[in-house]
Amino acid sequence: MKDKKNQFWLGTDDLNRIPEFIEEAAAERRDEPLANLAEDEKTFQVQASRRDFLKFLGFSLGAATVAAGCDIPVKKAMPYVVRPDSIVPGVATYYASSFVHGGDYCPILVKTREGRPIKIEGNTLSPVTGGGTSARAQAFVLDLYDTSRLQAPGKLTADGKVEKTDWATLDRDAKAAFATGGVRILTNTVMSPATKAAIAEFKAKYPDTRVVTIDPVSSSAMLLANEATFGSRFIPGYRFDKAHAIVSFGADFLGTWISPVEFAAQYVKNRKPTEKNRHMSWHAQVESRMSLTGSNADNRIMVKPSEQGAAILTLYNAIALRAGQSGLPGPTLKGKAGKALNKAADRLWNNRGQSLVVSGSNNTAEQILINGINQLLGNYGHTIDLTVTSNQRQGIDKDYYQLIDDMKAGRVNALIVMDANPAFTRPRAKAFLDGMKKVKFKVALGTHLNETAAACDYVAPVHHGLESWGDVEPKRGQYSFIQPTIAPLFDTRQREVSLLTWADSPKLNPNAEQPMLEFLKNEWKARLNLNGNFQKQWDKMLHDGVYTVRYDAKIPDFNFDPALVIGKISKPASDGMEIDFYEDFRVGAGQYANNPWLLELPDATTRTVWGNYLQIPIEWNGGNSFSALNGLNPEEFKGWADIVELTVGDRTERVTVIRQFGQMKDTVALSMGYGRRVIGEAGKNTGVDVVPWLWVDRDGNTQYYATGVKVSGKVDEEKYLPSVQYHHSLGVTGTDPKTGKKINVDEKTLMLLGAGMQGGLTDRSVMYQTNVKDLDEFLEHLHEKRKEAEELNANTLYPYEKYKKEQYEEGHHWGMHIDLNACIGCGACAVACMAENNVPVVGKREVARHHEMTWLRIDRYFYGDYENPNVVYQPMMCQHCDNAPCENVCPANATNHSSEGLNQMAYNRCVGTRYCANNCPYKVRRFNWLDYTTADIFKENQVYVNKEDLAYGADNLTRMVLNPDVTVRARGVIEKCSFCVQRLQEGKLLAKKEGRKLLDSDVKSACQTACPTEAIVIGDLNNKDGDLNRRRRDSLNFIALEEVNVRSSVMYKTRVNHRDEALDA
Amino acid sequence: MSSHVSAIREPLVYGHKDYHQITEDLVAPTERTPSKSWVLAFIISVAVLAFGVYTVTYTIYWGIGTWNLNRTIGWGWDITNFVWWIGIGHAGTLISAILLLFRQRWRTGVNRAAEAMTIFAVMCAGLFPLIHVGRAWVVFFFFPYPNTRGPLWPNFVSPLLWDVFAISTYFTISVLFWYSGLVPDLATVRDRAKGLRKKMYSLFSFGWKGSAKNWQRFESLSLVLAGLATPLVLSVHTIVSFDFATSVIPGWHTTIFPPYFVAGAVFSGFAMVLTLMLIARKLLNLRDYITVSHIESMNKIILVTGTIVGVAYITELFIAWYSGYVYEQFAFLNRAKGIYYWSYVGMMFNNVVVPQLFWFKKIRTSVFWTFLLSIAVNIGMWFERFVIIPTSIARDYLPSSWSYYIPTWVEVGIFIGTMGLFFTLFLAFTRLAPVVAIAEVKSILKEYGDQYLPKKQENI
Repeated sequence: MKDKKNQFWLGTDDLNRIPEFIEEAAAERRDEPLANLAEDEKTFQVQASRRDFLKFLGFSLGAATVAAGCDIPVKKAMPYVVRPDSIVPGVATYYASSFVHGGDYCPILVKTREGRPIKIEGNTLSPVTGGGTSARAQAFVLDLYDTSRLQAPGKLTADGKVEKTDWATLDRDAKAAFATGGVRILTNTVMSPATKAAIAEFKAKYPDTRVVTIDPVSSSAMLLANEATFGSRFIPGYRFDKAHAIVSFGADFLGTWISPVEFAAQYVKNRKPTEKNRHMSWHAQVESRMSLTGSNADNRIMVKPSEQGAAILTLYNAIALRAGQSGLPGPTLKGKAGKALNKAADRLWNNRGQSLVVSGSNNTAEQILINGINQLLGNYGHTIDLTVTSNQRQGIDKDYYQLIDDMKAGRVNALIVMDANPAFTRPRAKAFLDGMKKVKFKVALGTHLNETAAACDYVAPVHHGLESWGDVEPKRGQYSFIQPTIAPLFDTRQREVSLLTWADSPKLNPNAEQPMLEFLKNEWKARLNLNGNFQKQWDKMLHDGVYTVRYDAKIPDFNFDPALVIGKISKPASDGMEIDFYEDFRVGAGQYANNPWLLELPDATTRTVWGNYLQIPIEWNGGNSFSALNGLNPEEFKGWADIVELTVGDRTERVTVIRQFGQMKDTVALSMGYGRRVIGEAGKNTGVDVVPWLWVDRDGNTQYYATGVKVSGKVDEEKYLPSVQYHHSLGVTGTDPKTGKKINVDEKTLMLLGAGMQGGLTDRSVMYQTNVKDLDEFLEHLHEKRKEAEELNANTLYPYEKYKKEQYEEGHHWGMHIDLNACIGCGACAVACMAENNVPVVGKREVARHHEMTWLRIDRYFYGDYENPNVVYQPMMCQHCDNAPCENVCPANATNHSSEGLNQMAYNRCVGTRYCANNCPYKVRRFNWLDYTTADIFKENQVYVNKEDLAYGADNLTRMVLNPDVTVRARGVIEKCSFCVQRLQEGKLLAKKEGRKLLDSDVKSACQTACPTEAIVIGDLNNKDGDLNRRRRDSLNFIALEEVNVRSSVMYKTRVNHRDEALDA
Repeated sequence: MSSHVSAIREPLVYGHKDYHQITEDLVAPTERTPSKSWVLAFIISVAVLAFGVYTVTYTIYWGIGTWNLNRTIGWGWDITNFVWWIGIGHAGTLISAILLLFRQRWRTGVNRAAEAMTIFAVMCAGLFPLIHVGRAWVVFFFFPYPNTRGPLWPNFVSPLLWDVFAISTYFTISVLFWYSGLVPDLATVRDRAKGLRKKMYSLFSFGWKGSAKNWQRFESLSLVLAGLATPLVLSVHTIVSFDFATSVIPGWHTTIFPPYFVAGAVFSGFAMVLTLMLIARKLLNLRDYITVSHIESMNKIILVTGTIVGVAYITELFIAWYSGYVYEQFAFLNRAKGIYYWSYVGMMFNNVVVPQLFWFKKIRTSVFWTFLLSIAVNIGMWFERFVIIPTSIARDYLPSSWSYYIPTWVEVGIFIGTMGLFFTLFLAFTRLAPVVAIAEVKSILKEYGDQYLPKKQENI
């Protein structure tokens, strides 16, 4: 053994050199040549028995099955060869740009991730909007990834199909046609100097060209009225922030009228009273339907649509009387509305120079009267700016109707349709289409095929706004730029490039890398005339996205000619039902009707989606239940609505009705924009087209109401009414016909067996509202209630203050404040939330089943007189309770509390018992009922939103809009607002990188940045001097359901109205 | 065993039975070819079960969205059915455990079937928590198993987790109790059987010999299990009631729930026992063993528990008013007058008014009336759960979120499917084991057989 000491040995046998072992070991290591092995018979003898065979068979079959069952995903990832400087994976890049759609405008920042635009933010540098956005601007990014976009130039076949062609063919045919003269360009409002320059180039080449401008919803009367009073067609700039008394005759200036984002920001400036400073503007809305603006008004003066003119004249005469001038003859209003208008005149007169009267009327004479009223009140130069005028509406209807005549007369050889869609948005569509048949060459420039494009010969698809270069001048001297944030996805061409190409313009360099950029830059170079410093200025302009030039404009003289007014005011219909056709604040006149985010955004007041619903007035006869016109919709609380036949003139259509508080008796309302016939996948089969019911007055202005309307009884039933809110009021009052006393109708109607729609005890600590003159009394009440809740909540084994200290003292404690006075219900936040958090769209049927997935909703409650109520909007999202009832009931710990006070969801851990959702007092948790995101383990069970070919969201194009920072949730899990935790995290990182304490301004949730009125602010509760805590110290604040002791992190500020009861008398 | 039997006691076994006759009567259903009515009933049950399987598969494939639950009403027919089935199970445990401890001799006639019913009902109930979740394939997250995720445990403060423990314990004990009682009877069947049948039954009777030692251990086991099961009678439904009582939703957050739920469970359980036994009694010819006095005893329990439930309903209303809390007040007003008023009416009528008829001896001892009323109670108790669950959440704190709910065919299908499961199992049970506990009936024959009890009139 000794001599083996330094060797390795294999065991005792080896150590003892047992001969058998040595031999065997040697044989084992023997390297025999293959040939020898092959000669040996044993080598190929298979010694497997039948049993072994079966074992092998079984194993291999099993193994193969298991292996085949494992689907190895194909991952597509391609690295950059040369990484672009501006793209850092995981870091968002923002580009300043503009949202422009006809006359709709919003300066924006586009958030891009890895080269994909995914989210729109407001541009805070803009002097126009100050950083707010609208729902339409928020939804703009989704249009980029619309599968229904026109993807290549095409030739229309006889049956309306698009046959692919190429640009060369199109350009050749186009040039040949234009050369014959008689060219018309039919366009939406053009606010872009560059587009105008391109049109000028085109005109230079083809002198026999005329431009016809229309707006989706006409404002011709305003333009014509200003021409009559000031000598030129323009829309003035309005200053709602300087107005202390506002009267609006049906102008929905917070929703759709001219520039709602701008006006909303101005409007709320005077609408935020505090305990100390109770100053507040007063706003009366004269209308028949409950509009978005009307719902925010202090007083609503109910007049029928045909009485608008008379109402305006009544006010004019009342103001003229006070100004010592004589009134004008014509129809005026007596009775309740007349008295109210006289009271309103007092208020306006007392605020001369600080008042504002606007009208949505499309009657020229009526708009001239409005100008007269504002002149008498001395508002020009104060609340109405005649220097920085607006370019946002330029369409003159009569030009368009003239075009129809021209086409019919064969005076038009070629027609270029730029974005406009009069075949859908204007009456006399048949005449228009007949006229088009006589035009030899028609080409449509646009992103989508629509009713008008379908009647053309060619479609020349244009870039989406986020793929384009451009500029905008929404208001005089206030420029804004458009820069592309992604290379064009399809074979499209900018409209300006098409025009310049057809014009063979020398200003266009077709060989340039980006011809439009060069053209645009050259235009600006010429305009700015800065010589060598241009590039620097250009970079700054693009970076800021906005650029302001001061003009020393001459204030035009005011001329008021009563002859233009007398006898031209629309005559009130003697009696009968009237209908108001209004622009929907989501889909406009149909130009946004293919956007699923907008289609699924609930209407502010009716809370319905995916279509238009006839709003009918609610009736109450002092009994135990509410009813509505013709006894319709008795079972609305079940999501069942009645379908009626609506007859206007000689056209009858079937429409679904919805009961609406604040809808004037003997009137109904139905929105435009739905019922599109030629549209993409999302917008088809939604609602009723109202356009054939519109009519044209003597001045050639399109009119948006009708008289002599018949609403039938129930003819059919809609079992899927997509309304997200069945219950509408918290304490509406009415006069008991028996006693003559004001009673709480909600509580009265509770007493009926099975009273579904209304009825509830209304002393709920959900929302608070008060009249500004009752503020002292109210504050006492509020503080008493809050004190009571605090006392109740103090009775606990687990003292909250101690917990809070232990839990959050060291780090952050996130919280929110929402000012209900600032919230106007516009829905920008709701769409922003969908975009930011990858919230799925579920479609009409699913919403009707209350399966909507929205993380943020805007609850709407009516209060006050049931016939003429006020409204409060309450944005409602996860309250991130510190004593969250959802957390302790989850059996799997899937929802839990973060060390920063966030209530968080671990989607992968969620089993889907829905116990948390049941136990949430705010009902903000959303369950993935079906495979909405097409991310399920089963392949073929996704949800079709609107009977589309490929389920919405299942295609890679639409998925490009997804935010990579937020998990896409699968079927069967709960989700809810996260306070945009990804943004909080980003804010924390920013502060950390800069080595400083986090400021409240570092973190902004998507809803906060989207809001045009700064209603929402998020921040750190531990930051005592931060914005959030400053706002949370207001004595008007309350916490929803405070006494439930869930310790919500969201605080609301009481809605204060300025209703003048004198107008109700 | 032989103790003094009160002179006013009714016989519990009629027909002058001797031990052999009892064996003959009670084993017979397992030995003869199934009757046509049994075959028909079995085919229908299996068909209904198959439909249930289809609806469950449909739900799991498409998602809970195939049901009409919504963002406001997260639980509807699913949890209503769950609580209903669990409640039904309670009579079995009460009869086998509590009545055993209280030495209620009449339990012998019905305990076997009642225990079987318990087990089948719990199986039906247990199905709902498993399939009502969004992702049925990860329900194992509920169980506290060792894992590599930290380890990550379930949330021990969640009442749903308590449910998991309560129901699995309850099921285990019930199965043990039922099966241990079956052993002597299976041995009896074995002794009469031949061939494969004999082999099977000897396997299932665990080599029972009927020795004194066997009996002694059998009795001890029964007592131990009875002791274990007794608290379960109270705990299971108490814990089920915690699912609601610990929440913050008005109408759910109620401290009265535990006793109220237990009483309701016993109430509905006895009703279901009666429904089943009255059918079995007729079809299997067990009139001599399940006598009118059995029925009357059970009806008395129904009367008592029904009255407790009625008092609970009224207490709830009083407390809601007395609390001065607007949400609580509204929740109860809404139950009675809101959108689902008809379910409240159904509940009040069937659970409170109808059982009061049992004050009349004529009704209490009438097989026809008992059957009718037992069905009414079953329906009433289903309504009670429906009133508590969807009605409360359909109208909670924020009026903006109020909603309405009607089940889809899928939800109804699953409920009917559990009926199919229940009856399939019960019908199979009547063919495989004696429906009445042979050994236990024999044990009381000498005291309660009609030939041994002195004639009633003579004793009075």
